[in-house]
Amino acid sequence: MKKQQVKLFSMVMVVTLALTLLLAACAAPVAAPAAEEAAATEAAPAEAAAEQPVAAGDFKPVWYAPAPHPYFEDVRKGVEAYVAETGIAVEMQIGPDWTQDSQNQRMEALAANGFNAFAVYPADASGANGLYEELTAAGSHIINFGTSTAQPTTASFAVATDVKVAAMRATEELIKAMGGKGNIINVLEVLEDPNTALRKQGIEEVVAQYPDVTIIQEVAGMTSVETAVQKVGDALSANIDKVDGIIATGYTPSVAIAQVLGEYKSKDGARTIHAVGIDTDEIVMQAIKDGVMDGTIVQNPYGHGYLSLLLLQYLSEGYTPRADVYFVDAGFAYANQDNLETYSEDILAVTDQIKAELLDKYLEK
Amino acid sequence: MVQSKVDENVRQRAHTDSVGNALWSVLRRSDTSVVLAALILFVLFSFSNSSFLTPFNLFNVSRTAALYVFVALGQAMVIVIGGMNLSLGAIGGLTVVVAGWCMDTMGWSPWIGVPAAMLAGTLCGMFNGFIIIKSRLNSFIVTLASLFIFTGLVQGISQGFPYSNIPKDFTMLGRDDFFGVPYLFIFAVIVLIALGYMFKFRVVGRRILATGGNLEAARLSGIRTDNIVFLSHTLSGVFAATAGLLWVSRMGSAQPSTGTDWLIISFAVAIIGGTALNGGEFSALGILASAIMLTLIKNGLIMLNVNVYFEQTFLGVIVLLAVSVESIRMSLDSRTKRTQTDTP
Repeated sequence: MKKQQVKLFSMVMVVTLALTLLLAACAAPVAAPAAEEAAATEAAPAEAAAEQPVAAGDFKPVWYAPAPHPYFEDVRKGVEAYVAETGIAVEMQIGPDWTQDSQNQRMEALAANGFNAFAVYPADASGANGLYEELTAAGSHIINFGTSTAQPTTASFAVATDVKVAAMRATEELIKAMGGKGNIINVLEVLEDPNTALRKQGIEEVVAQYPDVTIIQEVAGMTSVETAVQKVGDALSANIDKVDGIIATGYTPSVAIAQVLGEYKSKDGARTIHAVGIDTDEIVMQAIKDGVMDGTIVQNPYGHGYLSLLLLQYLSEGYTPRADVYFVDAGFAYANQDNLETYSEDILAVTDQIKAELLDKYLEK
Repeated sequence: MVQSKVDENVRQRAHTDSVGNALWSVLRRSDTSVVLAALILFVLFSFSNSSFLTPFNLFNVSRTAALYVFVALGQAMVIVIGGMNLSLGAIGGLTVVVAGWCMDTMGWSPWIGVPAAMLAGTLCGMFNGFIIIKSRLNSFIVTLASLFIFTGLVQGISQGFPYSNIPKDFTMLGRDDFFGVPYLFIFAVIVLIALGYMFKFRVVGRRILATGGNLEAARLSGIRTDNIVFLSHTLSGVFAATAGLLWVSRMGSAQPSTGTDWLIISFAVAIIGGTALNGGEFSALGILASAIMLTLIKNGLIMLNVNVYFEQTFLGVIVLLAVSVESIRMSLDSRTKRTQTDTP
């Protein structure tokens, strides 16, 4: 390569890198309105706490999420509330992807750096156990939030939604909206997730109690919103003359249902189709507000974050899990047009109740 | 009298031969098999489910096929020069995020958001092309690296949050239709016709094919192959950006996860559609038929209500059966060539 070309190449690289960093720096705070709101209320004490140096022998907690996702931003609000309340610094990390490999490397590095308590969303329900075994053998405490690792596991607790119960509640609500009869399309998310089987089971158990309700189709493999939109659209097309309700028990299909049904109704779709989803994506909440969807199951991500850290703190203070206690049901609420403005308060009340019960119900000394 | 009858017979035979030759020349085209496969699947699914031919379903199928066309074109533009673009989905994702950031976060009009997003996608393609021609590294390595760069930007800018406040006007292209035919599909067909024309009749198209066919020979014949490689990667970025923007238009929101599952689709549609993996061949008709075929298979599996746990297996088997039509065509073609060679 000629000297001039090398110079030109270097210049272009520097300019590109500078533009990239500038773009990322400019955009990040604006693109996350929810995170910004949380920061406005809790940032000052949280930041102050986060800047505290980690001393040897202390409780050194980490909150770890595998990849950027709106759910984790909601969980982080709970962690930030914990930091603000206790003044204890928490290392908050979000990884680059959903692979267990990345999670292993980053958490091992954190452990090597002296951190000894981990609230983790496992990237792989089985694969994470290997990492956990090594970390707990080295004296660390681990708590799963959002979902559980496969049993047996060395994690002390899993703070999460009881997915089967939530799926059953969603199904009950859908059937109620359908008037106790009709045909349902069951939209599952990813089959690789063991929780999907539990959700499917829950839905089928409820449907079995209603002789006039039938699941006419199941669709799955919603790896992205694009795929989900395509599959939900196809399922709706296939059953357009007989479907009465659609249920989704995953974030991605819920967004897809909101999109597809919204479009169907905007094109004067004649059939009345009820729908219940999960999580509080803006598109889903707007669909409920517009009457396109009936409701959604609201999980407790705030509680997933807050309670995980509180449990880790208790474990570091010498408390141990009670015998046969592992799963901490963080609860959920059902949001529909009637409680759109108040459901977040309902879910905060659930967190407060569990917090009050932690020492009696889940821990002992 | 006898002479006129003989003349008539000769004319008839000549006519039959010319019709036969024309038909045979169509059958010998590499994209015929995928067109046939798509037609067979269309007929099969039409008979297997009464909902298949409903306007609602056909509208959805043609929209998805149109989006697959743009995703595949992003890959085909570099496959045709013997390269590949692993960062295609990430470029699409970045385009979507830039569009969402402009229209939702900044509240700008689509007249600003769309050019900004297109510019972002184009710059990504130019970045890939520039690094490839200057570093002389394989496109696999360069686009693998840029995949991480662009994915990081997508995650960094969006932090995983979708952008929901996309102006309603912008969804017209993705959601509306012209006498029942989605604008998306019409747009895809127009772009394919333009590309087909470019590759067949324009100098730049022939140069791209020549570069893909034999880079060294193209260079020795005076083609500035570096410029062609740069152009192909730029076009790849342009089509990835177009696909991303069309998804935003269809969804009415900008999802940062857009593009994460484009890689397999882009290669599958482009290669099944007749784009030679080692470069030098491109078929606009093949890409359209291939996109329709894959969409039909996915749609048909849901129509047939197959067991969700075995869906991927069925998908693979049907794709294999569909592409085996190409194997039959090739076998017939080689047999005919042998017969022609053997005939004195």
